[in-house]
Amino acid sequence: MTLNPLLPFLMAGDPSLEALPGLLAGARALGLEAAEVGLPHSDPIADGPVLQAAAHRAIGRGATPRRVLESLAGLTDSPDLILFTYLNPLLQLGLDPLLRLLEPTPVRSLLVVDLPFGEEPDFEAGLRAAGYPLVPLLAPTTTPERAKALLDQRPDPGPGAPFAQRFAYVVARLGVTGTGQGTDLGPVAARVRDLQGITARPLAVGFGLSDPASLRAVRTLGATPVIGSALVADLTLGRPIKACLESRIA
Amino acid sequence: MNDAFVLPTRFGARGLGGCYAPETLMQPLLDLEAAFRAAMEDSGFQAELKAELRHFVGRPTPLTPAPRLAAKLGLKALYLKREDLAHTGAHKINNALAQALLARRMGRTEIIAETGAGQHGVATAAACARLGLRCTVYMGVTDMARQAPNVARMRLFGATVQPVEAGQGTLKEAVNEALRAWAGRCTEAHYILGSALGPHPFPTLVRSFQTVIGEEARAQVLEQTGALPEAVVACAGGGSNGLGLLVPFAGDGLRRMAVEAGGHGRALGEHAARLDGGRMGVLHGCRTLLLQDAHGHTAETASVSAGLDYPALGPELAALVLDGTVDARRASDEEALAAARLLCETEGILPALESSHALALLPALAAEGVASVLLGLSGRGDKDLSTYQSRLEL
Repeated sequence: MTLNPLLPFLMAGDPSLEALPGLLAGARALGLEAAEVGLPHSDPIADGPVLQAAAHRAIGRGATPRRVLESLAGLTDSPDLILFTYLNPLLQLGLDPLLRLLEPTPVRSLLVVDLPFGEEPDFEAGLRAAGYPLVPLLAPTTTPERAKALLDQRPDPGPGAPFAQRFAYVVARLGVTGTGQGTDLGPVAARVRDLQGITARPLAVGFGLSDPASLRAVRTLGATPVIGSALVADLTLGRPIKACLESRIA
Repeated sequence: MNDAFVLPTRFGARGLGGCYAPETLMQPLLDLEAAFRAAMEDSGFQAELKAELRHFVGRPTPLTPAPRLAAKLGLKALYLKREDLAHTGAHKINNALAQALLARRMGRTEIIAETGAGQHGVATAAACARLGLRCTVYMGVTDMARQAPNVARMRLFGATVQPVEAGQGTLKEAVNEALRAWAGRCTEAHYILGSALGPHPFPTLVRSFQTVIGEEARAQVLEQTGALPEAVVACAGGGSNGLGLLVPFAGDGLRRMAVEAGGHGRALGEHAARLDGGRMGVLHGCRTLLLQDAHGHTAETASVSAGLDYPALGPELAALVLDGTVDARRASDEEALAAARLLCETEGILPALESSHALALLPALAAEGVASVLLGLSGRGDKDLSTYQSRLEL
């Protein structure tokens, strides 16, 4: 299995919904097989200042959940997408309308930050049955026993499935997205090695990674680094996506 | 359901509540539930809490007959449960102190809290000063401006008050920021949530530490009058005061009423009456009635009272209302202000703007033929003096 070198995160609607297909095509042109697309939410409790601000700008520009998914419909020149979201906007759409909106998009899985397994069993089962598994999250506070359970509850569909549907997301550090640059990667390295001992599925590591050295360090562990806030901040400044990503893949 | 928890995580026929938390907070929430259950079964903890409530908080708080206000409104009898006389000026200290004791028992040295009107922040800061815990309170900038005396009180008690600039600068944003801060420091800090909301076990924890209000009030009214009132009334922001007063009267067959903030209009954004304009949704870790737009984004709210403008009703209180055992009503800003003035003039008691919403329901209850009422006076109005001065042209 070749290592997916980078999992970029883009906030839908920031800088604009119109720009999103081009950004995704840019990521694909660099050979990236998957990307996270954030659905902007009014109360992103797991996000730091950069993604909060991006979400609020996107909402201000009319990036509703429906419009975001409609803007992804029919895209062929895109990596597989992981829809990164909070639960309430999905609940308000309802399962069937959500599935209808997802169907023509490159979305292959969902990462719902505030939905632990078991809280909305029918909703989650409906998504999975339609081909949209939920990504398991593993935090620094997740005990080894709990990690085993979480990986079983949201199981690996196996090597035939794409990365977007297989990977588990390892939260690198305590706190929220985008803060803590320069964090000691020692503890997360140990956690990744432990997790690799209990699962064969690919792992992505995110929260607070931005500099090329940290990203390389994650790749050295055999895991895929996630680049979120730093990328969103660069795109906000108008830097082209190719330049933003290239230096971080090397 | 999340089977790792032991206590029920859901309320009512529609399964409100739950634990919709990011994974980072799941183990801390599991640990908190375990510590709470152990403490509730520990007679040493119960004795310590009881002693602190008596000697530090000043419990039991009085149940004061209000005959002049009752006569003015056409009620036969009115009794006020005086949480305004609890130390720091509101019911919030009951929960803040109990959770601070629990945090110390868990070996936590640092406390995080959110505050809206500032009463929970002040109570938490005071409890932390008393127990020697470090305290950081997150507060929206709008609330800091309109509740400035409480900001000063928190700082006097040694707490750091962290301004939250996002959004409307009120309680919702303060909770967002407190949850984020807790996710960063959850291995050493305990988060003292002040309302009966948030992910399990917080709603249960807060309700358990607040029912002392209703338990005392029930015993006191029986002792003073030999009978229960026809109605018990409380204001409802998140629900800590409402549940604290109303839950102990559950088996009594009397009318239990919760009053929400009617603000200055009926359109979304002009009030905080979740039962009138709210839809089922998930915010801050629980499923409940929520003021939101069509896209699932939390709506803005409005109320003259900083303690009642949270966009969601706590899940247990929402469940009681939806299941029909508690009636929810609304009172407008103007009605609350007028009710506050009337209590001042007839009984010499200055109520908090939050409590004034409960008072504002009394004319309607009298008109409906209710003769006797027990009302939760959740806090004192000193913090609201500047609002009273400007709105009542004093």
